[in-house]
Amino acid sequence: MLDFILLSSHLPSSNLPYLFAAFAVSWVVLFGYLFYVNRHQHEMKKEIARLQRVLDDDPSEE
Amino acid sequence: MANTQNLELPGSLGRFPSVKTSLAIITGVMMLVDLYLIFMVAPTDSVLGHVQRVFYFHVPIAIMSFLAFFAVFIFSLMYLVKRTPRWDAIAHASAEVGVVFVTLALLTGIIWARPVWNTWWTWEPRLTTTMILWLIYVAYLMVRSYAPTQSKGAIYAAVVGIVGFIDVPIVYYSVVWWRSIHPSPVVGPFAQSDALDGTMYLILLYSFITFIFFFVYMVTERMELRSTEEALGRIRFTLRRRGR
Repeated sequence: MLDFILLSSHLPSSNLPYLFAAFAVSWVVLFGYLFYVNRHQHEMKKEIARLQRVLDDDPSEE
Repeated sequence: MANTQNLELPGSLGRFPSVKTSLAIITGVMMLVDLYLIFMVAPTDSVLGHVQRVFYFHVPIAIMSFLAFFAVFIFSLMYLVKRTPRWDAIAHASAEVGVVFVTLALLTGIIWARPVWNTWWTWEPRLTTTMILWLIYVAYLMVRSYAPTQSKGAIYAAVVGIVGFIDVPIVYYSVVWWRSIHPSPVVGPFAQSDALDGTMYLILLYSFITFIFFFVYMVTERMELRSTEEALGRIRFTLRRRGR
């Protein structure tokens, strides 16, 4: 019985959750980073457009 | 009219969005092919089983982090010599993406270690030196953030980036110099010629090329973010000067 358990623990299918976890973590980290950069970029561009309008409306500008 | 139209840094790809889009499409397609090769073509390891497929992500990601920190080393040196902001922008973006890659190398390694070594973490030389590498480049980003001015931050970070690179060869040679449970290198000067099956080697090579494209894409995205940050800084400065 013990031999059977030891052998079955080495079957390729027995470590599939770890395989899934490793690839899931990789995708979450890589796309999470890209999402963070893009969102930050989008927010800053909106802020630039808003401040640009303030500058354009500024009567004190030369 | 205030001069706020020139929002791009010399190193930005913002004026060539088609280059960035093409890079994103090529990277995406290459990644899909890579996943197909990893799950459908690569042979299953007779000892480790399916979890060995983590290897096709773990190894290229770890090597890419070394290359990212090599880029930090080179561009930090160039920045200290020439003081060209573009070199600092590339070093900064490479360091941040390098930290993402080394974080992933640690995480995928931890997940792979559990079924293979029966532990999530052990203070063996490769893991310990990699953890130190992660701390060094997190410190690089912190030094940059907490410096009193942007130019001082760039100089301090460049010094950390140059000195910190010493740890990269230590990480690589750690499995050669010290007794370790981590496997020997599969690429580089200490790699054994018969360490990998031919198909496995080709898929590893393809995966590595895919991550080079991924890295370049991430660095261009980060550099564009930095150019936008600087444009926002300029426009805020103009408004402050006018008392708005």
